[in-house]
Amino acid sequence: MRSRPWIFVPLVLAALAALPVIVKSEYLLGILSVCFIYGIWAASWDFMSGLTGRENFGHALFIGAGAYTSAFLNARFALNPWWGLPAGAAMAVLLALVIGFPTLRLRGPYFALAMLAAATIMQRLTLIFWQYSGGEEGIPGLDPLLNSKIGIYYLCLAALVLTTAALLLLARSHGGLLLRGIRGDEAACQAAGIDVTFYKIAALVVSAACAGMGGVLYAHYQEAVTPDVFSVALSISIIIMVYVGGIGTIYGPAVGAILLALLPELLRGLGQYRLWAYSVVLIFILFFAPGGLVAPLWRRAVGLAR
Amino acid sequence: MRDRHLAFILYSGLVMAFTGAAYGEEPPITIGVPTSVQLQVGRDSIDATALAIEEINAKGGVLGRKLRMVVADETENPQEGVAAINKLTADEHVDVLIGGYTSGVTLAQEPHIADSKTVYIEVGAASPSITDFVRRNYARYKYIFRVSPINAAHQAEALIDFGVGKLKGEAGVQKIAIIGENAKWVQDLAPILKTGLEKGGMTVTSVDLFDADTSDFSPLFNKIKASGAQYIMVVLSHANSDVLVKQWYDAKLPIPIGGIDVKSQDSDFFTRIGGKAVSETVANNIIPVPMTPVTMPFWNNFVAHFKRPPVYTGAGSYDAVYIYAEAVARAGDTAADKVIPALEKTHYVGTEGLCEFDAQHDIKFGPGYVSLAFAQWYPDGTRVIVWPKDIAKGAMMPPPWLAGKN
Amino acid sequence: MLNILVYGAVTSAVYAMLAVGFTLIFGVARVLNLAHGAFYGLGAYSCYLLTGRLGWPLLPAALVAVLFVAAFGVAMERFLVRPLRHSALAVLMITIAVGLLFEQAMYLLFGSEARNVPAFSNATWSYAGLDVSGQRLLTLGFGIVIIGLLWLFINRTRLGSAILALSQDREGALYMGIPADRIYAVVMAISAAIAAAAGVLTAPFLTVQPTMDLLPMIKAFSIVIVGGLGSIPGSILAALLLGYSETIVAYAVSPAWTEIVSLVAVLLTLILRPAGLLGKRAAF
Repeated sequence: MRSRPWIFVPLVLAALAALPVIVKSEYLLGILSVCFIYGIWAASWDFMSGLTGRENFGHALFIGAGAYTSAFLNARFALNPWWGLPAGAAMAVLLALVIGFPTLRLRGPYFALAMLAAATIMQRLTLIFWQYSGGEEGIPGLDPLLNSKIGIYYLCLAALVLTTAALLLLARSHGGLLLRGIRGDEAACQAAGIDVTFYKIAALVVSAACAGMGGVLYAHYQEAVTPDVFSVALSISIIIMVYVGGIGTIYGPAVGAILLALLPELLRGLGQYRLWAYSVVLIFILFFAPGGLVAPLWRRAVGLAR
Repeated sequence: MRDRHLAFILYSGLVMAFTGAAYGEEPPITIGVPTSVQLQVGRDSIDATALAIEEINAKGGVLGRKLRMVVADETENPQEGVAAINKLTADEHVDVLIGGYTSGVTLAQEPHIADSKTVYIEVGAASPSITDFVRRNYARYKYIFRVSPINAAHQAEALIDFGVGKLKGEAGVQKIAIIGENAKWVQDLAPILKTGLEKGGMTVTSVDLFDADTSDFSPLFNKIKASGAQYIMVVLSHANSDVLVKQWYDAKLPIPIGGIDVKSQDSDFFTRIGGKAVSETVANNIIPVPMTPVTMPFWNNFVAHFKRPPVYTGAGSYDAVYIYAEAVARAGDTAADKVIPALEKTHYVGTEGLCEFDAQHDIKFGPGYVSLAFAQWYPDGTRVIVWPKDIAKGAMMPPPWLAGKN
Repeated sequence: MLNILVYGAVTSAVYAMLAVGFTLIFGVARVLNLAHGAFYGLGAYSCYLLTGRLGWPLLPAALVAVLFVAAFGVAMERFLVRPLRHSALAVLMITIAVGLLFEQAMYLLFGSEARNVPAFSNATWSYAGLDVSGQRLLTLGFGIVIIGLLWLFINRTRLGSAILALSQDREGALYMGIPADRIYAVVMAISAAIAAAAGVLTAPFLTVQPTMDLLPMIKAFSIVIVGGLGSIPGSILAALLLGYSETIVAYAVSPAWTEIVSLVAVLLTLILRPAGLLGKRAAF
């Protein structure tokens, strides 16, 4: 009976898996599908930034790269949308390598701004080269990955669970420990003969690949892609989700993202006060739970059960 | 501020009253309004829909059933837009959707609307791509209609008519510069406009598209001034046209300005920017003159209810509710496959003109149908129609700093 | 040429006003204040409320608006930032949330339409092909004066020396008995007031609407990083560089390319000179 709360993990997963059978609302399933995609983005952000302590203010760069790559292949070359998954992830990885090598030696606000600038540059490019990218209207009319809403729900859920599990395993591996070490004292790691650059780039590449894949899921769920996928607003909302979830824990951000992505939908009844209420709730959470909400609560639950 | 609270209470009250009244009778017909609730265009959509519903219900509703409205916020973001459509169709099970403002949002919504097999009437976005869906795949996208605004290609025709007829024909303008926001609908519109003006014998000195958040227009003005253009034709909707017009006025640019400027269609645009819009000539969809027998009653009613004049989405939504109600009455049913053929036969005199749909479900444009009225801001802050000729009410004036110089 | 010279100077002055406050509060309190754009917006909106809705004359309205935003900055520092000071990330997050709240509050209070703040000067100056509004020249003048006053304040007053000391050697300054909390409040007030003044001054020729805070925020962030976080001369230098390069691109190429050129410049600076142009951890 040492860690009894762990029982809840399969229980929650089973409940989520059974949901489409119980609730017949395609609206709810659609909303949750998007929430799961946000979960993937938040967990992948946390893997790089949470572990190495480099806040990435341009995660949307990888999301947009995945989304646009897949949209482009699907709309312009009529390629099956499933090819978008590897292609989108590959493009995100390519961008991670291009941007990662020169910027990963930066820290703190310097790295944050570099990533923010990179994502915003991509957003501007989609507007300037509108003949190819569709401008601010983006590329509409994409094929969905699956034709049923329930199918898409299970796909997104599976993608989230698998990504989170894989990232958790990686984070607890030797490499993950090294990443945390880099966060603590990079110079010491270097002095110990660890190839710090390799580990940082590897973390960014893994993070980008997951985010890009999430971007592909997102584009084909929406059946359209617009320059918003590169926006500062998206990057910032992911950071807020991670933070509310509990930075550096991977599972916390995944859950936090689901909760925060769900919140504006739950507040729909408030009409024009909706987004205002959302930001007030956010200030309360950030102020009263500065270490995050999900992961600390979970730890306490696990701790109490011992 | 206060009027909006009132309006909010009013329409929540309306919805409750209707659902209450409908209790025990035939179930009400539900109109879903996906729009951007924080923006003026969205609030006018909501209020005008409520107004039309109130009027129709006062006359006994449609097929003995009352109408009611459900609003969903689509912001200006496609993700929220798709969620709003799903909320209205899968959760609220609305019978029809009337709304829209941002082209990118509507385009993203269309596959989801088609999946839900719900009739959708666009009232806010101008992109020709929206109804192009219907042309390319009628079977899947036949649910999409557009009542307002007239699409960008037709807006270009109106601008060409204004340029060649008014500017060249009456004011003797030869050289013209085109500036617009860097958005898809302008990218579609600008080449048509340029070709049309040149065919009409004018010289287009430059076409410049700028980012919607551009904050300094002096380089652009400088370039246009050097090019010798005698008129600046603007094509703006989402851009900060207040910044453009203020800087044009501040620089006392010796070139008059006019064209499509959606923000300058607002009745209070003139006062909002401190009177600096003086002499700007703007294409308007709705303006308080009796364009049809419906225009003034709608306008006065709207002002009486909500203490502010409506913008184009208000007029569009009002017409759309009536067009839908008449189609349902003709079809005798609210089922989409019955309503769509009835909608296709629409022949309705609305607030802006005669409404009929073309083969791809877009509102017809031109003489006899809906068209644009070019109105100029006079120094006292009123608007006077200067084109087309048959409805013109006054002469076009130069900016104050050019007056008497010719 | 004259156009580029004058308009570039005005843009640079606005950027500098935004950036010095941002870098000051970072240099002294180590707060990366992402609500800085909200200060700028709040200045313009307060001035609109007083002149447009309440009918005040412009000058008192502008002064009250600037004081109000300074007070708002102090309140934010006292009640939201100070309790979270132990974690830089928590502070960053709360300032982001304040920025979001500003936008939404403005939507609710004043709607989405662009609002107007009257200009101090409605004159237009014309000289050798250059037409520039009096308000812009005034903005340039005010920008120079405000930054000059800030320089005098920091270098010539006791309070200024305390600020400088705190930014150069925090521990040392604390041992010397400098009341850090009080200094933070003063610095936040100055930072917010300068941003608000920029908002009030530029509102007549730029826009006043709920999302007006984001772009100035990103500009301030970029300029401060390019100039070297915490360095005021670096920020001024970077503001000039960015202001002029954007103006030159707008005149020589097209206004559509200005943003991208300035972003690429930021990215290149970060890659080539990671600590910024004048990166050292001191205010002056």
